[in-house]
Amino acid sequence: MRGTDLHPAAWIVWASCAGLIAFVTTDPLYLVLIVAVSWFVYAAHHTRAPSARSFRVFLIAGAVALVLRTSLALLGWIVPSIGVVSSGSVAFAFLEGLRLAAILVVFGTFNAVTDPFGLVRMTPRRFHEPALAAALALSIAPRTIASAGDVREAQRLRGLPVTGIRSLPALAVPVLERGMEEASTLAESMDARGHGRGRRSRYRAQRWSAPAVAVAATAVMAAAFFLVASLGGWGGLHPATVPIAWPQADPILLVAIALLATPGIVPTRGTA
Amino acid sequence: MRRPLAAALVVATALLLSATPAATRATPACAAETGPHAGLVVDTGQRTTAYCVVLDAPTVSGLHLIQLAADQDRLSYGLGFGGQAVCRLAGVGPDGGDCWADYPHYWGYWRGDGGGGWTWSSAGAASTTVRDGDVEAWTWGTGMSGATHPKPPSLAIEQICTRTSPSPIPSRAPSVSRAPSPQAERSSPGSPPASLARTRTLEPRAASSPVVVLAAGAAGPPPTSGGPPAGVLVALVLAIVLAIAGWFRLRRYPGGART
Repeated sequence: MRGTDLHPAAWIVWASCAGLIAFVTTDPLYLVLIVAVSWFVYAAHHTRAPSARSFRVFLIAGAVALVLRTSLALLGWIVPSIGVVSSGSVAFAFLEGLRLAAILVVFGTFNAVTDPFGLVRMTPRRFHEPALAAALALSIAPRTIASAGDVREAQRLRGLPVTGIRSLPALAVPVLERGMEEASTLAESMDARGHGRGRRSRYRAQRWSAPAVAVAATAVMAAAFFLVASLGGWGGLHPATVPIAWPQADPILLVAIALLATPGIVPTRGTA
Repeated sequence: MRRPLAAALVVATALLLSATPAATRATPACAAETGPHAGLVVDTGQRTTAYCVVLDAPTVSGLHLIQLAADQDRLSYGLGFGGQAVCRLAGVGPDGGDCWADYPHYWGYWRGDGGGGWTWSSAGAASTTVRDGDVEAWTWGTGMSGATHPKPPSLAIEQICTRTSPSPIPSRAPSVSRAPSPQAERSSPGSPPASLARTRTLEPRAASSPVVVLAAGAAGPPPTSGGPPAGVLVALVLAIVLAIAGWFRLRRYPGGART
């Protein structure tokens, strides 16, 4: 099994809490810190598996989202009926884009460090099928990224052009074909293992190690601080953009985000 | 401004005033002198301030009127939701870009009906049109409609954009007093806050833009813009440290932590 020695549920908790924090704030300081923490965690826990590439891809997707959101605000220059372009509205759009980028980077980190099928193994029997569907949906992005990388590599070895728009159809067909093949292989293997017939046995259930508990607990704590700040209206979660003011950084919330870096500090099997 | 020019302005104002017939005395003298004006009333619940704002175009939006008042009379303000909504006025209201942060309290938007009364605006301040002689008001309070939101005190444009005359204007118009500087104000203790009428007339340079402070208290302090606060530096240093730590970790274990 690829993946980390941390319990997959700990990663789910970590990713949801980091995503929640990015969701409730538009303060660029907190958002940049979340991206930095994600990078730190990715550096400590990424695997050799192809899905580890998803961090870079989601980083690029986040940058694209940021540019797109900001340029949408600038569209008012070309089409004045949309709205008036001011430094405040552009700054607001930039911060919204940054929030989206931070959420995408958190999701990319989650994809790069964990194995979605590990999650399926630990769900209760009653929720096994929805969990399987969720795991398949979650793993579509990293698997597509991985197979696109493989196809490009194969094409490069054969001397085919791999850059530019013209090479896209040549890339898309094998990627789609491979996706279909993988899906039918998975269905066959599930059928062969008697999926959905009788009781499910568990082979060597993964245990919650102390680092996994620490990761989940600190992430929940960090998210709780931000939830309280969001509901209580303190901490400067939404900096003023008209007129533009310096964003605030509350020391308590800075510590809360630093707590999210716990997965990068806890001892892992490879480094300890 | 040079003294002779200022003196000339005062004399010209006095001449103009004496030459104006009584019938037209009700119209704002400032409008006749320097183009379109509009009134802006800001009611924080603690004090009510009225601004006579010089318009920089024949028509402006309700938001732009606030920005003009900020430029001319140092009304502090903050907009939110992408600059489409009013979050903070005169130091009251949420600090950030979320104008509902202090819900159920928020800034209600009223438009003058031309006779000193107010109607609840059905449109946002970014899409309303303010013309010469219009009056707009913002009140801080609860209530999602004009029936429940606190109404601003009855004010017409004539009461906000008064002429700069050395003698007090009779009737219900606020009394006018000359102040030596924009900051200086004269208080008249003993009167109830609602009727405590004080006028702040500016120096001849801005004589056409008097500010009526209708209740006790001074206008909000001008927004200060200093350098970045310490929190910004701490946050950035933390982010850089994390990024560098991650970089070193990647270089040390290029294939991942586990093999």
